[in-house]
Amino acid sequence: MSDGFERVEKVVRRVFERYEEFIPDFNEFVAALARPARKCLRVNTLKATREQVLEWTADLSPKPLPWFDLGFEIPDIYGLGKRLEHFLGLVYLQDASSMIPPLVLGPEPGERVLDIAAAPGSKTTQMSAMMANTGIVIANDVSSSRAKGLIGNVDRAGCLNVCVCRMDGIDLSRRVAGTCDRVLVDAPCTCEGTARKSLEVLTRCSAATSERFGRVQKGMIVAGFRSLRPGGVMVYSTCTIAPEENEAVVNHLIEREPGAEVLPVELAGFAMRPALTSWQGKQFAAPVELCRRIMPQDNDSEAFFLARIRKTDAAPAA
Amino acid sequence: MQRQQREVFTRFGIPESAAEGLEVLGAPDVVFIGTPEVMKFDACRPMRRGIRLCRVFPHSLKPTTWAMQVLGRHATKNVIDVTEAQAASLINGGEFEIEAAVDDGFVLIRCKGFTVGVGLYKSPLLKSQIPRHRPVEE
Repeated sequence: MSDGFERVEKVVRRVFERYEEFIPDFNEFVAALARPARKCLRVNTLKATREQVLEWTADLSPKPLPWFDLGFEIPDIYGLGKRLEHFLGLVYLQDASSMIPPLVLGPEPGERVLDIAAAPGSKTTQMSAMMANTGIVIANDVSSSRAKGLIGNVDRAGCLNVCVCRMDGIDLSRRVAGTCDRVLVDAPCTCEGTARKSLEVLTRCSAATSERFGRVQKGMIVAGFRSLRPGGVMVYSTCTIAPEENEAVVNHLIEREPGAEVLPVELAGFAMRPALTSWQGKQFAAPVELCRRIMPQDNDSEAFFLARIRKTDAAPAA
Repeated sequence: MQRQQREVFTRFGIPESAAEGLEVLGAPDVVFIGTPEVMKFDACRPMRRGIRLCRVFPHSLKPTTWAMQVLGRHATKNVIDVTEAQAASLINGGEFEIEAAVDDGFVLIRCKGFTVGVGLYKSPLLKSQIPRHRPVEE
């Protein structure tokens, strides 16, 4: 094992030691987060078939992801974003775990979908493709520069069913209250789970930072929920490990919105762990356990958190 | 079908059916194409609806690379097939001479069956009209 790897492992261990109590295989967790991230791509079915992409990328020997037939692992070489097939929008370079929230949300052709924090657009463009360029994906981001980047990716992916907005997510949700079939709240977070991509994220990780993000996320999950029509489904996701940004946020929604029903999260071939039932003396509502944690050591991926929530038909109108 | 859409489709021999289920929305200097739901969305003023189909100038209009990447698969005329190396050169802003049975004016550049973007042809010179902010490796 190289000195560099040991140094990284030491840093990861120190930053995440407060999670040791709920990660029984903590050593494996640390080792997985200290390894460099895998590079993956997704076939953009709006422009190409799986077979066509395999032909274009044959020199990369793409390895299929076992749980998603349009996702492939590719070697981490310089210039993947400067290849012709990327310019043509035949592929989208995307972390493996970032492909999961749209799969769990399952948008269908013709639906009205809100992506409340959409930039840079990997999940927006994936949902647009799942909907076969029909219906509408309302792709929002509060930052002007990030929204411009989002437009660039929507253009490249050939999404004709995407409407890009630049608004505060909570303000926008008031305007579309009660109308959306599906909502994705891929919330801004401390990104602890992406440490494999860049160790820089570790410099901002702390319980206090997670508490701060948690307050924003609680506003966003409630806003996302209120955008749903009765019977509509929302996915809340983060790429962080902190319970303050995950279970505590879902628990807040359940306490606040009686019509919020937590649904099981499943993806065949992908290992996930149940969410926590309590954290630092705080007991969460029983349905929170149905949420899922993706741990880096289980699938050689980034860490992720997922909650799938339905607005019951009996929920009061927004 | 709007006048600008008809002009673009006619130039490249794209059948009307290619835009089935889609709508266009004209602003003074640009025309967008997207789904009816996107065009009718009125909960706020969006930064973007669908994809820009073309830019409108006082005496002409210019089809966009991104819209043509989607609709170009239906094109039946004024298309120039190029090699991967030539496509990369054009994406990076290059130009070269090529003999092609097309009319002078805007053309679609196609590589291995996929529309790369829009070019401007004045026999025998093919100039790139592709946005240059996404260079590729040559």
